[in-house]
Amino acid sequence: MNLCRDGILRYGTLAVVAVAIVLPFLTGSMFFLNLLCLLLIFIIFASAWNLLAYSGQGSLGHAAFFGIGAYASTLIAAQSGISPYITIFLGAAVAAFIGVLIGLTCVRLKEWFLAMVTFGFAIIVQTLTVSILASSTGGWDGIASPRLISPDVPGYQLIEYYSILVITIASILAIWWIMKSRVGLAFSAIRENELEARASGINPVRYRLLAFAMSAYLAGVAGALEIHHIGYITPEIYNVDISFWPVTYVIFGGLGTLAGPIVGTIVLTFIWESLKMAGLTFARYVIVGVLLILVIIFLPKGLVDLPNRLRQWWQVRKKPVPDVAPVTE
Amino acid sequence: MVDIGIILQILFWGIYAGCIYILLATGLNLIFGVMKVVNFAHGEFLMIGAYITATIFLLTGINPYAIILLSMLVLVGIGAVVERLCFRPILGTSKLNEIFLSIGLIYIFQNATAMIWSDEWQSIKSPYQGITVPIGSLNVPLDYIIIMVLTAAILCILYLFLKKTVLGREMRATSQNRKGAMLVGINVERMDVLSFGIGCALAAAAGTLWVVSGQVFNPYMGSIPAVKAFAIIILGGLGSIPGAIIGGLIYGIAENGAAFLLGGVWKDAVSFVILIVVLVLKPTGLFGESGE
Repeated sequence: MNLCRDGILRYGTLAVVAVAIVLPFLTGSMFFLNLLCLLLIFIIFASAWNLLAYSGQGSLGHAAFFGIGAYASTLIAAQSGISPYITIFLGAAVAAFIGVLIGLTCVRLKEWFLAMVTFGFAIIVQTLTVSILASSTGGWDGIASPRLISPDVPGYQLIEYYSILVITIASILAIWWIMKSRVGLAFSAIRENELEARASGINPVRYRLLAFAMSAYLAGVAGALEIHHIGYITPEIYNVDISFWPVTYVIFGGLGTLAGPIVGTIVLTFIWESLKMAGLTFARYVIVGVLLILVIIFLPKGLVDLPNRLRQWWQVRKKPVPDVAPVTE
Repeated sequence: MVDIGIILQILFWGIYAGCIYILLATGLNLIFGVMKVVNFAHGEFLMIGAYITATIFLLTGINPYAIILLSMLVLVGIGAVVERLCFRPILGTSKLNEIFLSIGLIYIFQNATAMIWSDEWQSIKSPYQGITVPIGSLNVPLDYIIIMVLTAAILCILYLFLKKTVLGREMRATSQNRKGAMLVGINVERMDVLSFGIGCALAAAAGTLWVVSGQVFNPYMGSIPAVKAFAIIILGGLGSIPGAIIGGLIYGIAENGAAFLLGGVWKDAVSFVILIVVLVLKPTGLFGESGE
């Protein structure tokens, strides 16, 4: 049974990757290709958030790392002329460094204190960007960011798409490897019971910082990719919205699972874009909000748990209803 | 050398801004005390209160200060529904779930409001606009004084309700020990609905006061005051209403001081700087118990 499920998973993953490779050739529409790029970027971002949540820390300010990675990469690329392909990883390193700093203030905090500190941190970073750092960041107006591939290159969109795809797959493989390694075990031990984790020799502070660093790094990669893809950056990248999206995607897909952020991002983006085509604007958010609440209440493990739930439901239904003897005096 | 008049002015603005935070934080404190629930969407109730007030005022022209009662009543209803449909099913599951659920509520309320009233910034003019009362060396707008008096009155009524009535006593009992309260026959689920409703009503009052003071509002105005209110109850101590009052005043004054000294963009950031500094020094909050 397990082996069979492993097989399904392996072929399923291969199928998804194959579809991702072939998809651009099927449509050829630039709008669709752009959408796919953003989808992949948000898969990285949601997975990064998920990795932090995997260690029991729910951040409400991941836009900070997304934005720091983007700004750092843009500034390095613009000032030194290094290719964005390299600065993406340098910018993300800056985000990881800041992530460790904010992690240091958070490691001793309870869940919702941490949520607030991270939320506030995104606002502080935005304020710094438009005040003290305005001379280099362009303040509220933002600055142009070097493109990943110069638009002069023929077929640059396709090259960009495949670059992003490769980075996405690499990030997910990295997260998969982290989750199944000793570090991942330590993360889930801390999440489930910090006291017991400590008793078995895990230093929670060190692992929490590690989770912060890795999560901020990947979020920084995602942010830098998005900005080099769009070609322009403004402080709106730190908005509350950007912090909430990865949370929404992950909860939708399934918190703490590898597939959760991927499934959640794909499904929600699909719903989102369909609603957009139906001409809805604000109502889209209302629908997503309602869906989110329904998922939290009725599917606490997210969409990835849906097959299991359906199977259970099916088995319960198939079982004959036991005869209940009428209660008599 | 800073002019003493300016300092007084900042203090006064701070107290006025603090009033709104106090109402918001007291409501949150009440909900947190009874249900131990973290509702990040609390600011949306302030926003709805603001819109109800503005709409009724623009339609009928009733004195906006009288609308406060109506907006509080409506929000008691909305709060009760939200508690029953959203928070009760997830009570007792992970704390993170409450935060995630709040995000869903934020999406719903903000954008439903934007659908009805558009997402433009709006403001209304109070009937007392332009009237100032000279106190010492500075001229204080009459609106600010009314707002402070109203806040004080609402807090007194809440205090009397909690201390002198049977319901209030039952609520305090539930907040002190939920199991114990159940054992002596208190319907704790009713207390949940009640505390959530009252908390929302306080947020609505804050929304009304926000609007009548002439501040601009839009559907997205609520999230930052809500998180600040959380920061205030962390500063002032969970479940402590005097703490919420002191914390609210500190925040109001600190914000206006920062806006004056560092520039307007720092208004929001400074509250989070305070929060982070406090939490770094003392992870359970200034007066917090080790409990939650």
